[in-house]
Amino acid sequence: MIEILSVTGPASVQDLGRFDQYRFGVGTSGAMDDVALRAGNILLGNDENSAGIEIPMLPFKLRFGRDMAFALTGADVEAEIAGRVIPPWWRSHARTGDILTVKAMPRGARSYLTFGGGIDVPMVLGSRSTQFRSEFGGWHGRPLQAGDILPCTASTATIGELGVEPAEITLVRPNATPDETVVRVVIAGEYDGFAATTQALFWSSSWKITPQSNRYGYRLQGPAVKPEVPIEKRSHGIVPGVIQIPPNGQPIIQMRDAQTSGGYPKIATVIRADLWRVGQARLGGKLRFEQTAYTDALAAEAEMSAYLDRLRTNVRLVEETRTCRSS
Amino acid sequence: MPIELTDIARLAQILEKSGVDTIEIEEPGQSLKLVVDTGPRMAASPTLAAPAADHSVIAKADVAGHFLAAHPWRDKPFVAQGQRIEAGAVVGLVKIGLLYAPIVAPAAGTVDAVIAEPGATVGYGTPIVRIRPLAGSSPIN
Repeated sequence: MIEILSVTGPASVQDLGRFDQYRFGVGTSGAMDDVALRAGNILLGNDENSAGIEIPMLPFKLRFGRDMAFALTGADVEAEIAGRVIPPWWRSHARTGDILTVKAMPRGARSYLTFGGGIDVPMVLGSRSTQFRSEFGGWHGRPLQAGDILPCTASTATIGELGVEPAEITLVRPNATPDETVVRVVIAGEYDGFAATTQALFWSSSWKITPQSNRYGYRLQGPAVKPEVPIEKRSHGIVPGVIQIPPNGQPIIQMRDAQTSGGYPKIATVIRADLWRVGQARLGGKLRFEQTAYTDALAAEAEMSAYLDRLRTNVRLVEETRTCRSS
Repeated sequence: MPIELTDIARLAQILEKSGVDTIEIEEPGQSLKLVVDTGPRMAASPTLAAPAADHSVIAKADVAGHFLAAHPWRDKPFVAQGQRIEAGAVVGLVKIGLLYAPIVAPAAGTVDAVIAEPGATVGYGTPIVRIRPLAGSSPIN
């Protein structure tokens, strides 16, 4: 078990998400950066869907109630276990009573803390993710608070310290700068309802991520992008990544805790291979959209899968070598 | 226990799949080095640290790959000359495929010199950092 000692902002228990209830209007929830959550679980030899803690704000501090392996992935953070500095994208081992302190986040927006065996909260509707909107799943359906004691599945594996290359390095995108994230999108249903000049404005603008951005969605600020004539549609199914244009012409990217339906016109959709990049884009930072063909979106997804495949085989290599050495 | 041929075959397969080109395993009475032929590459040189006359201890690589003095996300190297470090502290990384394997200080002390060049190909036993141990402290390995 682990005890939360201090927490800032809405840290929550998340796995990869809740995918079988969408048709009933239950959103996916799940890690905003699913690549980072998977990487942490791969480092620990966990099921990749094991639940971890998504930490969007710092400082954060917890105490280990027993010997346990853990990993930190996602945003670059300054972290220490029992006074020792932990490099980024790293697994380490804590002893009973050790305190983990995560102090600052020089890069990215969300850090993921995973544990050997995973956090053992009940599965609700097929997932351990916290569903903020309806207040269920995760830890009592709410953000973590100081004093919370989370149960962890026992894992007997003792593993050495090891790091992996962050996804942002392996899957680096051209033209990205420290304060501007370039995300690939495919055009969506109502794209043709915008004049060519308005479409061009959408592509050329650098969109500021406003403070009204969170797990539900990112509200962007820039030049007004409005359809030629107002488009009013009945509410229809939408998915995380959909970029809607409300009447004020300021785009909204729907994220993991988004509603499952909406009526605003959709101009584009962030491809799945880049959704984690949006999840790591910081408040106040900039986003730029790059139009991508469907086939290129699939290729990008294959590239992301290849990175995860290499992580799996590389980490397994270390464990196999250890087995050979100790046998 | 001897390393079996089946172990070697399995390791070779894993190496190939992982895009990792060298692995070395050493234990009492036996050592194994597997090199996957991936075209031109530098030979990993298992240089054993010369026992220093001045009682300094050496942090060595224990896997073949490329030496990273700093994490790619950080400007500051893990250690610099003159720095006090604890036994078990990470003094650098060996990049092998997508893995960053830690190079660990065998004893507490003061960093005398970072011997390896950043980016250099290192092998099992390559000296990385020379440490002047604290008086009275004993190496952990």
